[in-house]
Amino acid sequence: MLTVQDFTGYQPTWCPGCGNWAIGAAIKTALVQLGLSPSNVFLSFGIGCSGNMNDFVNAYASHGLHGRALPVAIGFKLANHHMKTIVVAGDGDFYGEGGNHFLHAARGNHDICAIIHDNRVYGLTTGQVAPTAQKGYRSKSTPAGIIEVPLDPLGLAVAQGATFVAQAFAGDTMHLVGLLKDALQHKGFSLVNVLQPCVTFNKINTFSYYIQRSYKLPAEYDATNIQEAQKKTLELHEEKFPLGIIYKKDKPAYHEQISQIAETSLLKRKVPRNFTELLTDFV
Amino acid sequence: MEQFLWKIGGEAGFGILTTGTMFSKIVSRLGYYIFDYIQYPSLIRGGHNTYDVGFSDAPVHDLKANIDMLVCLNKETFDNHKERLRSDSFVIYDSKEFIPDGPYINIEVPFNEILTKLKGQVIMKNTIALGASLALLGADLAILNDLLKSQFKKKGEDVVRFNQQFAQAGYDHILKQHKAHIKSILLRRDNPKQLVITGNETFALASSIADCCLYVAYPMTPASSVLSVLANWQMQTGMVVRHAEDEIAVINTAIGGSLAGVRSAVGTSGGGFALMVESISFAGIAEIPLVIFLSQRPGPATGMPTWTEQGDLLFAVHAGHGEFPKIVLAPGSIDEMFKLTLKAYDLADIYQTPVIVLSDMLLSESHRSLSKDLVETQIKEYKPNRGKLIEKPDKEPYLRYKMTEDGVSARLIPGFEGSYYQSNSYEHLEDGHTTEESIERINQVDKRSQKIQTYFESHFVGPTIIGDIEKAEVIFVTWGSTKGATLRAQQELDKKGKNTAQLHFTHVFPLSEKIVAPYLTKKKRYILVENNSHGQFGKLLRQEIGVSIMEKVLRYDGRPITSEEIVQSVFT
Repeated sequence: MLTVQDFTGYQPTWCPGCGNWAIGAAIKTALVQLGLSPSNVFLSFGIGCSGNMNDFVNAYASHGLHGRALPVAIGFKLANHHMKTIVVAGDGDFYGEGGNHFLHAARGNHDICAIIHDNRVYGLTTGQVAPTAQKGYRSKSTPAGIIEVPLDPLGLAVAQGATFVAQAFAGDTMHLVGLLKDALQHKGFSLVNVLQPCVTFNKINTFSYYIQRSYKLPAEYDATNIQEAQKKTLELHEEKFPLGIIYKKDKPAYHEQISQIAETSLLKRKVPRNFTELLTDFV
Repeated sequence: MEQFLWKIGGEAGFGILTTGTMFSKIVSRLGYYIFDYIQYPSLIRGGHNTYDVGFSDAPVHDLKANIDMLVCLNKETFDNHKERLRSDSFVIYDSKEFIPDGPYINIEVPFNEILTKLKGQVIMKNTIALGASLALLGADLAILNDLLKSQFKKKGEDVVRFNQQFAQAGYDHILKQHKAHIKSILLRRDNPKQLVITGNETFALASSIADCCLYVAYPMTPASSVLSVLANWQMQTGMVVRHAEDEIAVINTAIGGSLAGVRSAVGTSGGGFALMVESISFAGIAEIPLVIFLSQRPGPATGMPTWTEQGDLLFAVHAGHGEFPKIVLAPGSIDEMFKLTLKAYDLADIYQTPVIVLSDMLLSESHRSLSKDLVETQIKEYKPNRGKLIEKPDKEPYLRYKMTEDGVSARLIPGFEGSYYQSNSYEHLEDGHTTEESIERINQVDKRSQKIQTYFESHFVGPTIIGDIEKAEVIFVTWGSTKGATLRAQQELDKKGKNTAQLHFTHVFPLSEKIVAPYLTKKKRYILVENNSHGQFGKLLRQEIGVSIMEKVLRYDGRPITSEEIVQSVFT
């Protein structure tokens, strides 16, 4: 039986009190509880404080480019769909620089679990505004306050066809572990947006801010009802943060709809050597 | 025989491309070598399209300037190209539309009257034109009828016969009205079987044979047909072909596939390639094999999308921030496209780094003859060389970026139970973890750079010499697709008593000074031939080898450089 220790790499360099610690611990716990090992998961990391988890978690992994963790994961999954594939990135990385990939991965229902650290600032570059920041938020890049309204990750995911959309709070690790396990077991594109205070650069969206404004979705909430889900996503604009599975739907994943990899993965396929038929196009 | 040049022109959107390809296939099946070239505006309808087919009993490297038979489906075709006609050129036209004003062999074909009589659509003018052309050249309709049958058989026997009668009408008209003008030069001859294939199709075919498993692209002229051809073949090849949302997704998806252990490739033109550049650097430091097909068109920015240029050489060579090894191959003919594509996949695996196959519109979209036997032999015999790819570690702990003499470390396919590692875009230790330590940085930079030396020793190939370099008065220096026009220029110059040689480069970057310099430092007259305005390969030679070539033949109006221009350069 594996333990969290098997997944534990280097000592993290995150700031004391940062929400990343809880998210990192929750990811490792969820993987252990699902019986996975560092050899049968693939983690694709973005660039940022969250991406730095690459050195702190043991697994097959890619620490790629800012904004591009998702397409790397898509390619990996197409080549070897037997590996559990996970994206770990931050809000600026995933919703800003890589926003286009997010929209299209959701509509493709790629079997990838995206765990997004949403702290509403750029931590690693010392505190500029992120696309999820509240309108008016003052930062190094927006001294007069950001003009845009916040990007709505959950609403976008639901609208674009993601089949598992959830929100968690880094201050409640046990709840986060449960949601991550559900997301990792879901077949198709899952988004877990984790609200995470940045203790160094964000003095507004603090632990107490989220404790006051977040709430767990009640047991009677029907996550399969897309209209209800869309209503929930709009609460962002009232600074209310529902926690739990916002939306869930069973649909075939992208790789399941490619007939040439129905039986074996691309990696394990038998090499075809009869291309003579192709030549008929050229005579 | 001298090259014979057949050319058809008409309004865009009315089947010129299909007709030109059919003509190429017919003459190829009759035992001749072909080279064709299409000119079309970046429009779907309303512009002017032309299609040239040059054929001969010897391989055709380049199209000649004079037109031997001009098929005018509209007056514009005649007006635009009459300066390339001579008194013995055929001009096929319909007197309902215009009458050629010149001393040519004017062949009236009543396209409109035939269409009305047989209740045909405008597009069937092409079939009439093919029938008439074949009659004038002394061929029969057997192959054309066969091609029409394959094209329309899904729609039923009646549709096949309906189309075939237009070919017959064009053919019969010539026999009845212009019998005296028939020039029987297209007689069936014995020739080893040739494929009629474009550069893009050749890249696609060779990629399939090389066991490329994942091809990712976003459509961009003139590379788009690689995507459509490979997508169409997925059931036969088992390849997964993905049209992603943008070129950044394209290259990162291919990187993901390659990381997982399968051969992966992308294809694009200059603009899309520009979007991929950051990720090329990622593949460089993370040591991920990748084949990038870059088909050039005239830039900057959107430029002239459907025309040709060799304007992205230096961009390809320097693509990616930071310092890392990268191999750039530039085929100059269809055979070279086939062989170098196979080699590109091996080199990417052997050196675990990006390999760029550089094409251009001329090479990508022109059909040429490719020996069927060569292809079939490779289908049977080609075995991928995956380099140091391993399925399990040879010893523990496994170190992804282990220091080695040749600069290449064993690459473990992810998923092996008991191991794990990360591919890292940050500078890293041998085990893949991030580092900022001075010594570790130097070690890893040196390790990656060592691959260039290993490549020079093991796989770099210097220029191909065409002609006798010692006897030559003039040495042409070419790379990529200018090879063909230069070859034809050499043949013409030979007739004029000028002895020439050509140094043709396919392995354009990196360049081994030791291997290349001896060819370029003889006391000879060197002329650089490039389809761009800056003489980019000349600059690269100066940078890498330290030689300057002062004489240049450059063309940058979007048209391929011609042998006539090259011949002229020798006498000026």
